[in-house]
Amino acid sequence: MNPPQPHSSGCPGVTRRAFLADTGMGFTGLALGAMLFRDGARADTPAWQPPTGAPHFAPRAKAVIWIFLCGGVSHVESFDVKPELTKYAGKSIAETPYAGVLATEGKDVIGANPAHGNRKVILPLQTGYRHYGECGLVVGDWFRHVGECADDLAVVRSLWTIHNDHGAQLTWQTGRHPRELEHPTLGAWMAYGLGTLNENLPEYVVLGAPTGDCCGGTFTYGAAYLGPEHGGVRLNTDPKNPLPFIHPADATLTADQQVANLSLLGRLNRLAGIDYPDDANLRARIKSYELAFQMQSSVPETLQLEREPQHIRSLYGLDQDATKSFGEHCLVARRLVERGVRFVQVFHGGGGGGAWDAHSDIKANHTSLAQQVDQPIAGLLKDLKQRGLLDDTLVVFGTEFGRSPGAEGTGRDHHPQAFSAWLAGGGVKGGVQYGRTDELGFHAADNRRYVTDIHATVLRQLGLDSRRLEVPGRKRLEIDHGAVIREILA
Amino acid sequence: MKTVSNNQVWRVWLVVLGTCLVGGRSFATPANRAALEKHYGRFLTPSLARCTTCHLPSAQKFPESLDEFPHNSFGDRLRKLGEELAAAGKKKDLQTRLALVAQEDADGDGVPNETELLLGHNPGDAKDTPSRSELAAAATRHTEFAAYLKSYRWQPFDPVVRPPVPGIAPTVAPFAPRNPIDSFLAAEWSARGLKPRPEASKEVLLRRVSIDLIGLNPTPAEQRAFLDDPSPDAYERLVDRLLDDPRHGERWARHWMDVWRYSDWAGWADGGQVRDSKPHIWRWRDWIVESLNANKPYDRLVTEMLAADELAPEDPDALRATGFLVRNYKMLSREQWLEDTVKHTSQAFLGLTVGCAKCHDHVVDPISQREYYALRAVFEPHNVRTDRLPGQLDTVKDGLVRAYDATNTPTFVLVRGDERHPLTNAIIPPGVPAALGGKLDVKEVTLPWLAASPDAREFVIHDTISASEAALTAARAALTREHTKTNSTPAQRDEARLSLDLTEKKHAALLAVVEADRSVHPPKQNEDRTPAATNAVRLQRAVAVAEARLKQYQAQTALATAATNTVVSAKQKLMAADQQLADAEKILTKPLDAAFTPRPAESFPATSSGRRLALAKWLVRPENPLTARVAVNHIWLRHFGRGLVPTAADFGRNGRPPTHPQLLDWLAAELMKPGDGVLGLGSGVSGISAPLSQDARSQTPDPKPWNLKHLHRLIVTSAAYRMASTPDAADLAIDPDNDFLWRMNSRRLEAEAVRDNLLYAAGALDLERGGPDIDQKLALSSFRRSIYLRHAAEKQAEFLQIFDGPSVTECYERRPSVMPQQALALGNSELAARQARALATKLTAESGGNDIRFIELAFQRILARGPTEAERQSCAEFFTPAAVSTELANKAFARAAQNLILVLFNHNDFVTVR
Repeated sequence: MNPPQPHSSGCPGVTRRAFLADTGMGFTGLALGAMLFRDGARADTPAWQPPTGAPHFAPRAKAVIWIFLCGGVSHVESFDVKPELTKYAGKSIAETPYAGVLATEGKDVIGANPAHGNRKVILPLQTGYRHYGECGLVVGDWFRHVGECADDLAVVRSLWTIHNDHGAQLTWQTGRHPRELEHPTLGAWMAYGLGTLNENLPEYVVLGAPTGDCCGGTFTYGAAYLGPEHGGVRLNTDPKNPLPFIHPADATLTADQQVANLSLLGRLNRLAGIDYPDDANLRARIKSYELAFQMQSSVPETLQLEREPQHIRSLYGLDQDATKSFGEHCLVARRLVERGVRFVQVFHGGGGGGAWDAHSDIKANHTSLAQQVDQPIAGLLKDLKQRGLLDDTLVVFGTEFGRSPGAEGTGRDHHPQAFSAWLAGGGVKGGVQYGRTDELGFHAADNRRYVTDIHATVLRQLGLDSRRLEVPGRKRLEIDHGAVIREILA
Repeated sequence: MKTVSNNQVWRVWLVVLGTCLVGGRSFATPANRAALEKHYGRFLTPSLARCTTCHLPSAQKFPESLDEFPHNSFGDRLRKLGEELAAAGKKKDLQTRLALVAQEDADGDGVPNETELLLGHNPGDAKDTPSRSELAAAATRHTEFAAYLKSYRWQPFDPVVRPPVPGIAPTVAPFAPRNPIDSFLAAEWSARGLKPRPEASKEVLLRRVSIDLIGLNPTPAEQRAFLDDPSPDAYERLVDRLLDDPRHGERWARHWMDVWRYSDWAGWADGGQVRDSKPHIWRWRDWIVESLNANKPYDRLVTEMLAADELAPEDPDALRATGFLVRNYKMLSREQWLEDTVKHTSQAFLGLTVGCAKCHDHVVDPISQREYYALRAVFEPHNVRTDRLPGQLDTVKDGLVRAYDATNTPTFVLVRGDERHPLTNAIIPPGVPAALGGKLDVKEVTLPWLAASPDAREFVIHDTISASEAALTAARAALTREHTKTNSTPAQRDEARLSLDLTEKKHAALLAVVEADRSVHPPKQNEDRTPAATNAVRLQRAVAVAEARLKQYQAQTALATAATNTVVSAKQKLMAADQQLADAEKILTKPLDAAFTPRPAESFPATSSGRRLALAKWLVRPENPLTARVAVNHIWLRHFGRGLVPTAADFGRNGRPPTHPQLLDWLAAELMKPGDGVLGLGSGVSGISAPLSQDARSQTPDPKPWNLKHLHRLIVTSAAYRMASTPDAADLAIDPDNDFLWRMNSRRLEAEAVRDNLLYAAGALDLERGGPDIDQKLALSSFRRSIYLRHAAEKQAEFLQIFDGPSVTECYERRPSVMPQQALALGNSELAARQARALATKLTAESGGNDIRFIELAFQRILARGPTEAERQSCAEFFTPAAVSTELANKAFARAAQNLILVLFNHNDFVTVR
């Protein structure tokens, strides 16, 4: 049921069609692009066409919920638990039987930062752990609720990244070192490759506080050269303030007039854009007006969390202070996916280096932060599953790097040499553990995987081949494409 | 102390060398290794960017001196050559020596040194020799390296040397360079086969340069004047006018406020919790605007912001500049306060992420942790205070908030940056990173007496006396009122009389104290200060008696009317008052002395450490490699939409190298010492082939150093700046990001400019300059320029933030986005609605209700251009719905007119500069 839409006309279908006809909305971008190509701008690549929105092969997933925990979650105490750390607590790595783990031969690791990594005196596990599910996945006690979903998870334990500071937050989204500034994020590739499934909401939505400016900032949900229309759109989850300026301050402006205004605006923008056929900002602006008009009603409707039954609200932890905020993000993520949003990027602990950056007292830090996210994430998985949405919704849980097996006082340091992520749903096998780190969790040992391998796997499930998305003149490196982790696919 | 630290340095060096030789990575790069890396650049493999290229491991397990790391044959040859060159009195730097031994074969394995180095093999190790297949690639490698040696090298840590201006290659003709900027860009075009775009239309150019220099659209009258001006220097005169326009200062102040992190105060006023920054800091903003308008040199700007209190301690106008430091104030953490100060001072002026070195040596840039704390020591003594301003004694209401040196707290290295673990065995003296050259020359500053005792300034005395006179007038009026009131009681009259008596005595005492103070301060010798002082003592004793009398009388009255349950306490109060009066009267009987109570006044240290002034001087010395480069890049970024160094806040190795290193160096030289190059354009050295245009030759250089307006003028009058932003298919294929500026970049207006121009187009913008920050909640109703809206943590105008307004924590570069929220803000906000209505009404009158005329005027006002034929037609259709009656027609016209204005406010061209 659609709620009342105070600012749409009585017959939304008709006005919408009229609007599209007038402004060329929905295909304006292509039309403008095509003008340029007709003029022979890309004469060197005559065969190239922008994506049609059709997948390259049969997709297994329609939507992605991309959860990102800022600051670096300890892998050795979450999804790659290392009991040997407790056994050898207080000893230096060289004194353990695993002294060999420090060797870097054959491992493509970033230069260690002597002050910021390679801490060698072992810190014992700061939380307990137990086995979950039929697969017997071992999960640290900070993530007990997620542990209950073990049989739906495919944990990848052999990840590594290329930056030993929080710039790696950007790396997780784009695959590139922060020095290289803006590159399309995974969400942008998806939006670019597949277009939208709905006409009322952006195809790429960002929830929560993103990464601070130190560590990528707006680049962590940007589209770079794909053009801003494919970038993420940030939304508040506060139903009282769903969108600023959501209703016209001028009460005498009728919905019909609004539509007529937008129609004229679209025409004028196209006319003025004739001399600038390659202007991605213009394309994005035209699209943003179309979307904004629709979002005046679609966003408040999406945020009506009070319409969810109590047991669902409880499932996400909306009834507890600690879990309420992130629970709302997760519930809104589900509602967005239900309404046809392709990619929902949910940040937790964003700003500055990130909340999970537990250089000291990791026990207090991770206990408190995990409490905020554990139940909501598990609630999301369970809820998606019971609705049958998990079949074509891929949930990814990630962070920028792991934390050092060695102690930094009572904390753990950055650890780009090894970390974990997991995927669930969307045609990914459940109850799978892929890759292995050494006994101390120092290096990814078997089946080492770079972050773009996760990207490639997600794109594969969406039916996209990143090589076929390449834009002429924009060289992508081999490592940007990554390699699909086929072992975890159902 | 000194020997200890020398020993420490020595030991660190040994450790460094030790780690080098066992193959680890070290971060305090030894000078010779740095020189090796610098000479070979990217041609040096990581395996050779090590000490082992020249040294052998030590035979000792715990080496105690550098001599225990012997040279290999290559290192030995370099050492001997160095001795030979020195003996011959020749240049012996490592780069010279490396070039000289390039073709020699130190290890005798039959492969020349340089060939080995280029192929990744050790030239001092006979066993490490390139294979035959590797040698096959040597020729190519040598050619590439030779080209690299010949190319312009970006050396951001070396002092700026003005490069020669290149000639214009015939391939980019008929492009006519107007100044050296064009020649530098043209060199890159011709190297890449790019064709520069032609000059933009006058309409586009006028709007571009107006927005760029004053932040506002040209008015219809200005459009007509410029378009109708056929003279060849019309554009140059336009630029002069805009640079002289006081709105230029406001426009560029906002840019610099991004870089210098302007923030109003945050916290809760009623709880007295000023947490971040300080009230009245808007005076710093006004100082920025005024200084830019006055074209204050950049070196002076930097110096005043860091150290006006040491440079011009008695100049309240200059003291405002230290708001740069005040802005970092953090009530909750001195640690965070100093951390922000060090981090952002370095980042703003040096483009270096020095902040990384708080916890450990910088990972990629040559800044050690110790050097971080040496920089911190520069700021360690400083604090902030609010001085009185004429006309306002209450500094909560208004005042001059400024920095000063308050303490001599020692600086210690904090282990891992943790304030709980200072290394208290060594006090870190102030200093600067060695890699940038030069030293801090710290001289303690003796402050003028009035700077340390600001309340002794004449206006404070004057205002204090005025306040006392006002109290006197009020007390007299109160007594008169009691006498004229019909229902006044004798008790009320008595009390008013006693009050007046006290006020009169206080006033008299104040005048005497002022007199006595004057005889004491500033300290003078051979002056008998007793008469004034004893007079003050006499009058202050009288005040004490009058005060006690009033109190006694009040206590008597209170007792007389006390209820039964308060009688006891009223009696006690009266007894205390009786005693106070007795004491005061007893003192009257004592002989007079000179120990008067001085006026309550704050006093501050009489000296300042001079550290910040020394830092400022170090920053702006011409040999500082970064200051001018970073400033020029910030300016370029805001004229062209992207910096020559794309990472404006990071010139270190984690940043990106510039697209045009020569141009950036040339501009940096030109900023510091204008003139050398502009006239040099036609010189034979540069081999110009295209003729110089007339206006370029007529430009006379402004000799003033660090001249910002000169740089703006140079940039916006270049031919490059005047290019169209339209695409070219062939150029796009070569350089899709326009890295090499074959066209002008289209840019989106900054948030402030969106709001300002909306108001300006409607004729509503209030051009009053300066003054206290305006509540950000008034952003939609205030008519003032956006720069005056309050901007602090939790106090940001939503409308501006939607258009990517600056982050309060840091904003070295705006990152404009395109979001549906922007469409809602411009389409739905009361700001847009109200201004649309106002402008529609105004233009309806101006057009006489003629729709075609209305459309013309609306385009000119909002988009600063006339409509095209197609646009005119589309808009005219908007007005067509036929009306049955005149009244209805008028209504329909008014509605259509208002809607058209709203549509144009939402037009892509309104928020875009082409």
